[in-house]
Amino acid sequence: MTQTLTGRRVLVVEDESLVAMLLETILEDMGCIPIGPAGTVEEGLAMVADPAPLDGALLDVNVAGRQVFPIAEALTARGVPFVFSTGYGESGLPDAWRGHATVQKPFTESAIRAALMKAMGVENV
Amino acid sequence: MTSIETDLAAALNASPNAYFIVGPELKFVWANQAYFAVTQRTAADLIGTPVFEAFDAGPGLDAPESTRRLRASFEKVFATGVRNDIPVLHYAIPVPGADGVLAYEDRYWSVIHTPLIRDGVVEHVLQYAIDITELENLRRSAADVTTSAVHAIDAIVGGALLSGARSVQADNARLETERQGLMDLFMQAPGFVTVLNGPDHVIQIHNSAYAQLIGHRDISGKPIREALPEIQGQGYFEFLDSVYETGEPYEGRASRVQLQRTPDGPLEARFLDFIYQPIRDANGAVAGIFVQGHDVTGTVRSAERQKLMIDELNHRVKNTLATIQSIAVQTARSHGDPATFAESFQARLMALSHTHNLLTRSHWEGADLDAILQHETEAHGSHRVTLNGPPVALEPAAALSLGMIFHELATNAAKYGALSAPEGRVMVDWAVANQTRPVLTLTWREIGGPPVAPPERRGFGSRLIERNVRHDLAGAVILDYANDGFSAEFSVPLEKERSS
Repeated sequence: MTQTLTGRRVLVVEDESLVAMLLETILEDMGCIPIGPAGTVEEGLAMVADPAPLDGALLDVNVAGRQVFPIAEALTARGVPFVFSTGYGESGLPDAWRGHATVQKPFTESAIRAALMKAMGVENV
Repeated sequence: MTSIETDLAAALNASPNAYFIVGPELKFVWANQAYFAVTQRTAADLIGTPVFEAFDAGPGLDAPESTRRLRASFEKVFATGVRNDIPVLHYAIPVPGADGVLAYEDRYWSVIHTPLIRDGVVEHVLQYAIDITELENLRRSAADVTTSAVHAIDAIVGGALLSGARSVQADNARLETERQGLMDLFMQAPGFVTVLNGPDHVIQIHNSAYAQLIGHRDISGKPIREALPEIQGQGYFEFLDSVYETGEPYEGRASRVQLQRTPDGPLEARFLDFIYQPIRDANGAVAGIFVQGHDVTGTVRSAERQKLMIDELNHRVKNTLATIQSIAVQTARSHGDPATFAESFQARLMALSHTHNLLTRSHWEGADLDAILQHETEAHGSHRVTLNGPPVALEPAAALSLGMIFHELATNAAKYGALSAPEGRVMVDWAVANQTRPVLTLTWREIGGPPVAPPERRGFGSRLIERNVRHDLAGAVILDYANDGFSAEFSVPLEKERSS
């Protein structure tokens, strides 16, 4: 079942390096290739604008004091599926993004895997 | 003059009752013979003289009040064209004594002021003053005896009328005092109050708190739509219209209103608790609206702040848990043995926790670099670690990062570096360069330890240091595994550049 995510390039937007390191470790364990991490909204936007292929993204909702939604919009425009990660709980997402795939901090590997697969439309085989 | 008018003027002049006439400046224009007689003054003396210059009520304690009442009565008649009476007026007048020198004589008067109107304008006021000094003195001396005696004497000298007038006057004075007291309360009430009149909600009266709320504009007598044009479209005019039409009160809670509180200033949001209460006339029809309320902006804002703080706290707690989760996962990967994992994990947790303590002490405003370094190195002996640099205040995020970084450096030095040998030492030197955009430069240098070789595999510690400096601190670090001692050179901007 891990094959389904193997080789997928997944952008990580997360301002805390320790959390970013954990996400990278988890992604590598799933066979993905972590891209980034981006520690600010600007860095993230630059990475989304890069023509290199992207298969998915994990977006921390609050990045260095700003909200990540401009990156979410850029990804949507590019057709790249993504998952929010947030410590804010249910109230962390504004109405426009409510219901979008989200993982709560702290997260487990299986939660991230399930959310990414759902977002990317990959069936668990 | 017709003959009748001439006769009337002559009759007035000859009347035994004292009369005089004043103009709007309250100067004597005319007085009759009886008036000159009762005041013992002459026409040359008085005509053209201001009344209050000729007669100032003397040195008595109540003289200023008597003067004020007399003047107020004149002014009221000039202003309204309606007759005004002062039933009892204590008013001393100067009269020439036997030696010709003026001396004040205590007098009581009953005064009637009649407007003399021409073409709808009060041109003059006629005063008819009766000297009631003797009656008053009689009453006053009797008052010391018994109440019934007073009544008896009042009855004899027609005092019932006087005392009736006196009590009306006392009532009026009491009502005036009460009215003024209520007015003061209204004006000084902590809540805002305004009274609106008629279907256009004309501002009849408003208090200081209301003036404060709307920014001290001149709104008296204006319809509300004209007085506060900026709240058009915010729903309040419609609520007022509805209260006026239906007679149903309207209540608002923490209701947001945008007010222009300074001329040409921006719209400013205030939050109000208020009520629109209909005022009804004698027939029960709505005649106006009583507006009363409180500015609760402070309360609303602090509730908002509290929600933000709770969200922020939740965010921080969850992020801290994610950080600890990461430390646990990464530590586990480099420790096969549960015992050494536990030891290493706990040490990292304690380093994080201690920086939290430092930050809590400063209410999360920041922490001092020296304090963080001291804590992370003191376990290895303060004489073996030299800290040298100026005080540097670190923001909370930077403090947390550097706390973890120094923990990794100190742990590494104790395990493999200078602090693993008895003679080894660590020297930490730092400085702040570029005062406009300050940058912290810090060197961690180990000497006297065993020979150093670069690690075969980059462990969690060194990855944490490199990632943290670059990613979280937007700085740079060089880790140098020189043979004679490990060193690390940091360059960290103290004010994180953040484009908004």
